[in-house]
Amino acid sequence: MTTLRIFFRSCWFQYRAMFNWATPIGYFSYKFLQPIVQILFLTELGIFATGRSNALYFALGNALQLTAVNGIFGVVMSVGNERQFGTLPILLGSPANRVVTFLGRAFVHVLDGIAGVAVGLVLAFVMFRIDLSHANLGLLAICVCIISLTTAGLGLMFGSLSLITRDVFVIANAAYYLLLVFCGINVPVSRLPEWAQLIASCLPLTRGVQAAREVVSGAGLAQVSGLLAGELAVGLIYALVGYALFAWLEHQARRGGLQEAY
Amino acid sequence: MTYVRAAVRAFEMSMKLRSVNPFSNFSWLAFPLIFTVLGLLLLSPGGGGHSAYAILGGGLIGYWGMAYLEGGNEIQNERWSGTLEQIMACPTPLAVIVVGKLFSSLLFGMLSFIPAVALGYFGFHQSLHLDPIPFALSFLVLTFAFFSVAMALAPLYALSRRAFTVTNGFEIGVYVLGGFMFPISQLPSWLQAASSVLAPTWAVRSLYAAAGQPFGHEYLRWCAISIALSCGYLAAGWFLYRVVDVRARVTGQLALA
Repeated sequence: MTTLRIFFRSCWFQYRAMFNWATPIGYFSYKFLQPIVQILFLTELGIFATGRSNALYFALGNALQLTAVNGIFGVVMSVGNERQFGTLPILLGSPANRVVTFLGRAFVHVLDGIAGVAVGLVLAFVMFRIDLSHANLGLLAICVCIISLTTAGLGLMFGSLSLITRDVFVIANAAYYLLLVFCGINVPVSRLPEWAQLIASCLPLTRGVQAAREVVSGAGLAQVSGLLAGELAVGLIYALVGYALFAWLEHQARRGGLQEAY
Repeated sequence: MTYVRAAVRAFEMSMKLRSVNPFSNFSWLAFPLIFTVLGLLLLSPGGGGHSAYAILGGGLIGYWGMAYLEGGNEIQNERWSGTLEQIMACPTPLAVIVVGKLFSSLLFGMLSFIPAVALGYFGFHQSLHLDPIPFALSFLVLTFAFFSVAMALAPLYALSRRAFTVTNGFEIGVYVLGGFMFPISQLPSWLQAASSVLAPTWAVRSLYAAAGQPFGHEYLRWCAISIALSCGYLAAGWFLYRVVDVRARVTGQLALA
């Protein structure tokens, strides 16, 4: 019970700490203005390249990719800010359960990421009239939840690197924008070079976005369950690797007193 | 002369800090590469001579990001470092310091075109075919436009620590309205109207016309409109600097504002 309490309080406080700037206008800008312009920009680029008939492909892909705003930026910065704000030694010195502490960095961002995609889908629907008439909306919601979870898994892994680098914001930016290229958001994975397809297959979003596209086209659970299971597995692997890295780096930091020395 | 020396010192300091800042280096090197790859993957297979939009577009995105975000962020960094009060209180006007910092971010921003052009040439065998004099003229006008926008926005960052957050989305908004990677003619008419009041839009149009895109050759008209709008931004900026100066001294809450 205490663990659960610590988990939820930790989730909430770290989220509030990260968004301490979040006045209503600031949050509106982050939650609406940025998604609008990002979807607009990349969808119009796609339309310019391939024609207006393909607007659905780009609008849907970029709406789903919004989950990475939370999953990558949010989660990476949640871990990385401990160092920047000088609270990392206190966190590492506390007796709190490490799994709870680690996963607590991602939990609220997963929920906020789902909300972000919902906003993105509504915006895409309004701006580009994407056709959801064949979609199983419940199944699409499951796809969005899974994508949000798996992206946060990648974020946790990159966040762990903040223990050994001061430039975690660069890592978050690179990861976020590379997902736009590799994961079938704007360019079909089949059109990428083979080495890039290999990278795509190892990333979250790739299978989840493909599953969501099929669901919007009318596919049922049976047709996309394999893709969703693969997406979950990828996210879980990243989260586990991230935790293992976090635990190992913490161990090394304790041994050498190196919490903020990198 | 004192002001020139102060601006040069601000430029030097900013260059030194920027050259060891990983995010600045990411912004001029990796950011244009990512968008150029994306643009070339989308635009080069179908032909149509649109690869200029991918190559120049990637460079423009890096250039704008450095001018707008990095330029403005410098004020935010001063606030975080606790040095904003000293800058405001010193006899040199804030605008002079900002000019020095902006020249530095513009210089770094110009580097963005190098990785974009190199990737286009070596990675995708695509090159630019430029009309050199109009291109150089357009590029100068574009630089002035970026400088003017950043100069006008910088006082907002000094005025409020939340300004950066609120205006963050504006960065990508200018990719759209400025026609960085596609012609604005494909946008809805109300967005085209909004884009026409942005100085970079006209300079970018001129730039793409000089790179062979079918816009015509009204370079002088486009450049004149861009320069006129840029001068308007500078006038607005001059007013904002005065507001910031007065408000900072009246409220005494500069770092907390």
